[in-house]
Formats: sequence, structure tokens, C-alpha cells
Amino acid sequence: MKEIVTIQVGDYANFIGSHFWNFQDELMGLASDPHGDPVFNSQDLNMDVLYRTGETQQGILSYTPRLVSINMKGSLGSMSSHGTLYNNDAPIASDVVTWAGQVSTHVSEHHKRNLFLQSLYEEDQNLNMANEANGGSTGSQREYQDKDIVDSLENGVQFWTDYSKVHYHPQSLYELSGVWMDLEEFDNYGIGRDSFAWTSHGEEISDRLRFFVEECDHMQGIQFIVDDSGGFSAVAAEFLENLVDDYTNTPVMLYATRGPGSNARLQSKKHTIFGDLHDAISFARLSSYSKLIVPIGLPILSTSKASKFLRINDEKPYHSSAVYGSALHSISLPFRMGPVRPTSNACSFSGAVDVNGVIEMLSGQGRQNMVSILDVAMPAPTLTGDNEQSLLENLQPLTPQIEEDVEDLQAVEYLTVHGALASAGHRASVSEVKDMIHAAFERSNMRPMFCHLSATLCPLPIPLPFPSIFGNLVGQRGELINGQLTDASRKGSLDVHSIPMAARLRSNSAILPFLETRLRNLHQFGIERGALGAPLLSSWGFGKEELVEMEEMLSKMVIALSPPQLSDSD
Amino acid sequence: MSLRVLNPNAEVLNKSAALHMNINAAKGLQDVLKTNLGPKGTIKMLVGGAGDIKLTKDGNTLLKEMQIQNPTAVMIARTAVAQDDISGDGTTSTVIFIGELMKQSERYIDEGMHPRVLVDGFEIAKRATLQFLEKFKTPVVMGDEPDKEILRMVARTTLRTKLYEALADQLTDIVVNSVLCIRKPEESIDLFMVEIMHMRHKFDVDTRLVEGLVLDHGSRHPDMKRRAENCYILTCNVSLEYDKSEINAGFFYSNAEQREAMVAAERRQVDEKVKKIIELKNKVCSGEDSNFVVINQKGIDPPSLDLLARAGIIALRRAKRRNMERLVLACGGEAVNSVDDLTPECLGWAGLVYEHVLGEEKYTFVENVKNPHSCTILIKGPNDHTIAQIKDAIRDGLRAVKNTIEDESVVLGAGAFEVAARQYLVNEVKKTVQGRTQLGVEAFADALLVVPKTLADNSGLDTQDVLIALTGEHDRGNVVGLNQHTGEPIDPQMEGIFDNYSVKRQIINSGPVIASQLLLVDEVIRAGRNMRKPT
Repeated sequence: MKEIVTIQVGDYANFIGSHFWNFQDELMGLASDPHGDPVFNSQDLNMDVLYRTGETQQGILSYTPRLVSINMKGSLGSMSSHGTLYNNDAPIASDVVTWAGQVSTHVSEHHKRNLFLQSLYEEDQNLNMANEANGGSTGSQREYQDKDIVDSLENGVQFWTDYSKVHYHPQSLYELSGVWMDLEEFDNYGIGRDSFAWTSHGEEISDRLRFFVEECDHMQGIQFIVDDSGGFSAVAAEFLENLVDDYTNTPVMLYATRGPGSNARLQSKKHTIFGDLHDAISFARLSSYSKLIVPIGLPILSTSKASKFLRINDEKPYHSSAVYGSALHSISLPFRMGPVRPTSNACSFSGAVDVNGVIEMLSGQGRQNMVSILDVAMPAPTLTGDNEQSLLENLQPLTPQIEEDVEDLQAVEYLTVHGALASAGHRASVSEVKDMIHAAFERSNMRPMFCHLSATLCPLPIPLPFPSIFGNLVGQRGELINGQLTDASRKGSLDVHSIPMAARLRSNSAILPFLETRLRNLHQFGIERGALGAPLLSSWGFGKEELVEMEEMLSKMVIALSPPQLSDSD
Repeated sequence: MSLRVLNPNAEVLNKSAALHMNINAAKGLQDVLKTNLGPKGTIKMLVGGAGDIKLTKDGNTLLKEMQIQNPTAVMIARTAVAQDDISGDGTTSTVIFIGELMKQSERYIDEGMHPRVLVDGFEIAKRATLQFLEKFKTPVVMGDEPDKEILRMVARTTLRTKLYEALADQLTDIVVNSVLCIRKPEESIDLFMVEIMHMRHKFDVDTRLVEGLVLDHGSRHPDMKRRAENCYILTCNVSLEYDKSEINAGFFYSNAEQREAMVAAERRQVDEKVKKIIELKNKVCSGEDSNFVVINQKGIDPPSLDLLARAGIIALRRAKRRNMERLVLACGGEAVNSVDDLTPECLGWAGLVYEHVLGEEKYTFVENVKNPHSCTILIKGPNDHTIAQIKDAIRDGLRAVKNTIEDESVVLGAGAFEVAARQYLVNEVKKTVQGRTQLGVEAFADALLVVPKTLADNSGLDTQDVLIALTGEHDRGNVVGLNQHTGEPIDPQMEGIFDNYSVKRQIINSGPVIASQLLLVDEVIRAGRNMRKPT
């Protein structure tokens, strides 16, 4: 078994992470359900890769994510930073043992648990009484409640903890205090760097990470999700710098995410330059500490091609992060494929690979391109022979600023398909999936140099706390129903139980515009003589040499990907 | 107003409004923090939105917990926190001093005085006060053997403002001894060499000093000993993991056997490293009744652990980076980065190494070391917020002792310095100043009194009575402070109440700077967002 440790830095990263862990929790629930769909029951996924077994002080076994989550103080909503499992009995208010004098108590407004969390809490309380017979009447009552819960989440999600059904370890949740800043103003690299002194928090954060790493026998890698739309990139960059130093040979897979429209409110010219410089600096700093970086986050997700079958409200991070969370889940599946018991059916998955394998595959080859594009087909179309609904054409990018339809002979792809349906409505077997993809590549006129395919039968389970983002054409098992696309209705977790998914990372020159924009902005606003942003950058603490170094690094990335015909013609 | 032409949305607060915004913010922050001050202050219990509890009596911690939004308050808070970073204490004093300077200034400004005049007075008064501090401080000679008694008094003064007396007194010795333990002649003191560990366990009075080191993890092999005596300690930073990523890059294989062979070869490299360690163990431990402990900063994988366990070696992996330094200081020897240069001289020694398990948490104690230069303060407390508060208090205590050793002087506490400085300013400095600037000096002098005033206030005493009694004694030439129980003047020297010289100097230095900046603000301009909106 090879463990993965996950790190989430920043608000949006935690929104995505929350969905990600909900999927894992749902999978485990389904796997242990004896009456459940055997697809989930096949034990092909080794959850120990992501989870750790522990024991509370009361001696109760616990199973919690290997996760370090960093966020602003107050962003945990109604969840305690100590998690829910390891709570010692609630301390009494008068219980101040260290001070004999007066005590003044300052209680901030109590965050009420929403309907969903309340029901979870009650479920926990009633766990002991679960053996009691429940008649049909309670069943119908329950149904009614679920609908209420879905509705309340749809309208009322404020914090990422509001829809999290996972128990976290007390070491997992870290809050940054002493950042006297509105979240809205915490919007660029410099502010993050200024208001966050690594010295005061760094040791504690490194310790949290060490706690999880020390337990690992063979860590295969670190999955790092960062909200790079604001000051958290600076936090993440500092963290990565330390991390790379401490765990030299551990590959880091970095997802640089941002919510839809996070740049939309910057209107004036000055702010645009601010934003552009932030993007450039943030990307340059983050990429210098990771082995593979995947930029995620379209400026407008709702009308993008990736959400053809989805009805997303860009305003709600609860919505958009669900798509990204699902994609991350699909990408991470091959990292934990492997029978827990040797007896289990070996045909239900193929293409297991570890983090290092993927990174080597995508960024270690010829061009050493470390920036990958994330594509997703959500839900993946039914695998039929005809060209119309080809899986490959349904894979649409979640990475911003890329070129479409680029022919790149040196492209490398890593594709995961899980839970795909065959034409007759039953699940396509792994070999069928493989054949279909091969056939599709044969037909396609743009073929990558190399494609790694991972497939498994297990679809993406839709947990109860999932936004109603499916359009009217998505069926209960995620199949696409023939009909007219309408905007009328949205389906949620009550109507759709699971969906087939396909996700792809590709190392392709289509990323060039993304890189070039950053390079150009850095040069134009930061380095050129009399550049508008030069004083700003020096106030962020970057010297000229440092900037030139960044520029060189970026231009190296660009050159590696640029089509070679220019030099040929000379 | 020209700004309006440029940006019609820009908001401008005129001079007096801007000034009052600043003054009010400073006063507001002062109000929040002033009840903290002194051994009779109020401890604050902060309950978060999710029921998380934080206990604090430390201005620094409190500021960090508050979600301050007002720009003026943020500016003051940053100064105060910087104060803590530099000298380790005095956050509360800085905030209330700035607040009081603003409050005193408000009086004069309302009477029509220009802030510039006040600021000039502040500058003069500041310089005079700093000179006075040089005369007033009590020098302490720190030779090879520092005067433990005075260190103890300084530490106790700090700790008693944070914890109840019995606990503070118990921690006093721990704090002083730990700083003396890590102190090396001719070198500045690195407080990081004191590890602070905590266990959620029993009662707070169980907190103790471990001469040696406590690590927050244990060995990861069931066959390794849980307790060993007479141990050689190998501190190293060597990866004992089979690391595919490192080697994989350039190799290709064409069939399964080749791959197997390659894996085996790579594995062998790791095993070689482990064997070198085992060789050293056999060399030093042969014939003796001794044990061998490996503490590694990098990872150790199960096959390597297995080999080590079979050789009777205790091995810990992924030790904190700082513990590498601490271990060497505590046990002797040196940290090695490669197994090629292993010699018996690299090894440290500890009389006892044992593991303590608490739920899923494991602790490894490395104790009974010879001549340690690093140590661990082990805090035990019944719950997390108590532990956190004791930890904060210990940090402050350590800083206070360190400051005393480095300053080679202390300042009489209990408000004695503030009253003395005020009398000096009013009786002597003021006369030497021309014109209205005098009033600035006076404002500064009165602002100094905020410390004894707040101390009296927090003890439930009448501030006027106290101030009259104190200033009276000072005018008679007696340097006295405030007895918090009775309100009578006392001699701080007799009572053993001492503050840090560097902390006082820092407060006198930074307070007026920030206050002057805030006073000289002409206009507050903010283009874009509405600043009057309630935050």
C-alpha cells in the first residue's frame, strides 16, 4: 500500500476538498452495504491510501482522511477545529483552572447547524439504537426529510463544512489567526505574503503534516489543492518551499484552483494589472515547487462546454466545486486501485498507477512539460459504436486559457474512465471500455503520442449533500436520456444516484496561451523599464533578479512547448 | 477635494473626522485589552462560533484571535504584535499606552491645539524618558554563573500575570532552569532549543522539565523495545526507504525478470545503508550492557525497520528538523547525513529511552543525558485550551529570562518606573522646553501613568487615591510601586517585582511613533469601498 497525503489551502480548495471527501465517504458507505450495488462492493479501491486508522483517547477506533486543511479563521462555520470524533466531553464554562482571578467570557455568535448537519448529528446519536425495527412509515418520513435537506443545502451553503459528512482528525484542520483581513481583500499574492508570517504558523503547519507523514510506510505522493485566486497562493508557496525541503523525493501533484468569476469584480485598469501580476507570480512561485501543476477553474463554468449536461450556478461555490471535486476524484482513482484481498475479481479494474507514475508520464518525458490540462466528461456518455457521442469528444477542459483543437504530435495523455455504461444500459466491462477507447483513437484524426488508460467499473456515487446540478437529460444511473435539453429542471442527489465519469490529464501544447499570458504580463507589467507594476512587485518583496529568474523559468516552459517549425525554417 | 474630480466615488474624511476616527479606534482597542494587565487582570475566555474555546490573558494572543478590520486598529495591532516578536512581551502595555497617548492628545486638540505641537512634545519626552530609563534600570551582572535569584524574580513577575500564583511559582523554576540549561557562554540564547511538548493528561501541576528530549512519536515496529537503558543515540538524516522515484528515471526494462532484478538491486542499496548502521551498533555495543537508538529525520520503511529490530536497535523515523539540533545538544555526538562517515564519535548518549503511549499518541522520552544543552518542558493539562494557555505563558516566561540575561539589567516593576518617569518629565524636563511644546511633554507624561492606573483599576482600587499616594512617595525620593492587594505603595525591589529592560524600552520607543503618525493624519481617503459601513 502506498499512502497519499492531501493538503488543501484556501477557501475554494476546501470547497473542492469537501466534495472529494464526501465521495470517498459515500464509497465506503456503499461498499459496506450488503444490499448495495455490487459495483461498489468489489473492493478494488484501497481506501487506506487516503485514510488513516487511529484511536481516540476513549479507545474508539477512528478512520479519518490523511489531510491537512488550511483556511482563514472563522471559515469552519459550525464545525469545531478539533473535528468531531476526538471531542473530549464539552468543557464547562466556569472551568478555568489556570487563573484564580476574574474571568470574562466572550461568546461569538453560535453558528447553527444546518438541517443536513443536524441530521448527521442525530444519526450519530441514534447509532446505538439503530437496531430498532423501522417500519414503512419512518421510511417515507425520511424521504421527505431528504428533500428538505437537499433544498436547504441548495440555498444555504456558506462554509465548506456545511455539506461535509466526513469526520476529520483534530490535526487536520488548521485555522490561520491574526490575519486581520476581510476575505474579499485577501486577494493577491502580496497581501498573503505580508499578513502571513511563515515563522509564526509554519512550524505548527509542518508539524501537522509530519503527523500524517510519519505514519506512512511508503508515501507515494502529496496531493496539494490550493485556491490560487488570492493571498493563499503565498501561503501555499511558503508551505511548498518547506515541504519540498523536508520530503525531497516525495512527488507533489498540485492543483491550482479558483472559483468561477473570481476575477470578474476587478474592473479598473489598475486592478486588472494587479490581477494579472498576481496570476503570473502565483503560477511561477507554485510551479517552481511542484512536479506537476494542473491549473483548474474556468472563469465561467456554467456555459462552458464541460457543463453541457449540467446546470451550474456560477455564484455558488457549492455548485462549481462539485464539478472540480468529481474530476479530482476520477483522477485519483488509479492511485488506489488494487485488490484488498487477492481473491477479488481482478477484471474489474485496469491501469493502476501511482502518483509518481503519472507525474513521470506527463512531465518526465521529452519536453518536460509540467503543466497539465484537466478535461472531464461529466457524466461520461454511453459507450456506443457510433461517432456521435464519442467519449473523447465529450471530454472538455476545466483548465482556463487554453487553445482548442491543437494538433500536438508529442501530446501525452492520462485518461481515467470509471463506471461507463454500455449501450444496453448495463455497465461496460473494463475490456469493453478499453476496446472502445482504442477504436475511438483509431477514428480520431488527432492522436496523442501516448495515452495511459485506467478503467474501473465503479461509477461516481452521488452523496446526499451534492448540489442539484444535473440537467434533465441525466438519468438515475447517469445515463444520458434522449430528448431536448431544457433549462427547466435540475436534478440532484435524490434523482441521480451515480454517474459514469471520465477525466483526463494531458500534457499538450494547447496550454501555451495560458503560459504565454503569464509570461507576457510578468514582462510587461513587472520587468520592463518603467513597468506599471514594478513598484507593486517590490512591495510584495520580489527583487529584480528574482523576477528575471521567474521570467526565464516561464519562457523555458513556453519554448519547450512551442512548435518547432520556427527554428526549422531558419 | 480635487480627488472628487478624479473619482466621484472617492470618500474623504476631513481633518477632524479623520483624527477622531483614529482616536476612537485607539481607545477602543485599549478598552478591549486593558482589563488584561497585571496579576489582577481578567482572563478572557473566547468561545468561537462552533464552540471552540480559547483562554488567554496575553495581549498578543488576544489580538490575533480578534478579527480586527478597522485600519487604524490594524495599524496599532501590528505594532503591538511586532513588539511581541521583538521582545516577547509588552503587547498589552503597548496598546494601552498608544490608546492613552491618543486620549491625552484628544483633550488638547479639542481645545484647538495643532497636533504637530503635541507630536514635537512627544519626541522630546520620548528621548528624555529613554535617557531616564538608562539611569533608572538596575544592572545585573551576568557572569559565568548568572544570579539565579533575579532571573527567578523576573520570570515570576511575568508568569504571575498569566497564571495563578501556585502554578506560576512552580513554572518559575522550570523556566529559569531550562534557559540556563541551553545557555552557552559567548553565544546568544536560542530559545528554540527548549522544546515545549504537551500531553492531555491529568492536572496542570504535573508540568515538568525533562532534561533531555521528548519526541512526539515512537518506533514503528512491534518488536522494538519500549524501554532501554544506557543508550547510544545515532542522530541522522538518511533516507532508509526504498525510493523508486529517485532511481527510476533513466532505466528501462523489457521483461518481468529484469524488472524484478532491478527492484532487488535498488532494495539492496537501502539494505546496505541499514547494515552499516547495524555494524556500528555491533562495534560499540559488543560486550557492554548497552542499547542503540536511531533517530532519523527521513523515513524508514518496514523492511529496514525489520532489519533494525532484528539487530536489537530502536529506530524512530521522521523526526522534526529542529529535533536533530536539539538531540545533538542534549545527548552529544553529531547529526550525520550519510552512513559512509559513521564513527563511534558521532554517537550521543542517554541513560534512559522509553516510550509512553496515550491513545493513538506516542511519546518517546530521551532522558538522563550528560551535560545537556537542550531540554524539554512537558506540559500536562486536562484540556486543549488549558494547555494552550500554559504554553503561551511559558513562552513569555522564557523570553523574559532570556531578555534579562541579554540586557544585563532589569527595571523595577509594579508601575514604579512609569511613576518615576512621569515625575521626572513633569518636574524637570518640562521646564527646559519652550512654549506650547510643554503641553506635549505633559500629555506624554500623563499617558505614562496609564500603567499604574490600569493596574489599580483592575484590582478594584480607587485610581485617584493610588496615583496620589504613588506620586507623593516618588516626590519624597522613594521609588515605589503599587501593592495590588492593599493599594499601598510598596518597594518593588523588596517584593521582587521586575520587568524587562528591553520590553520597556521598546514600548517607550514604538508607542509615540505610532501615536504621532495617527495624530498627523490629515485626511482619510478611500476610493471604492464604503468605509463607514459597519464591519
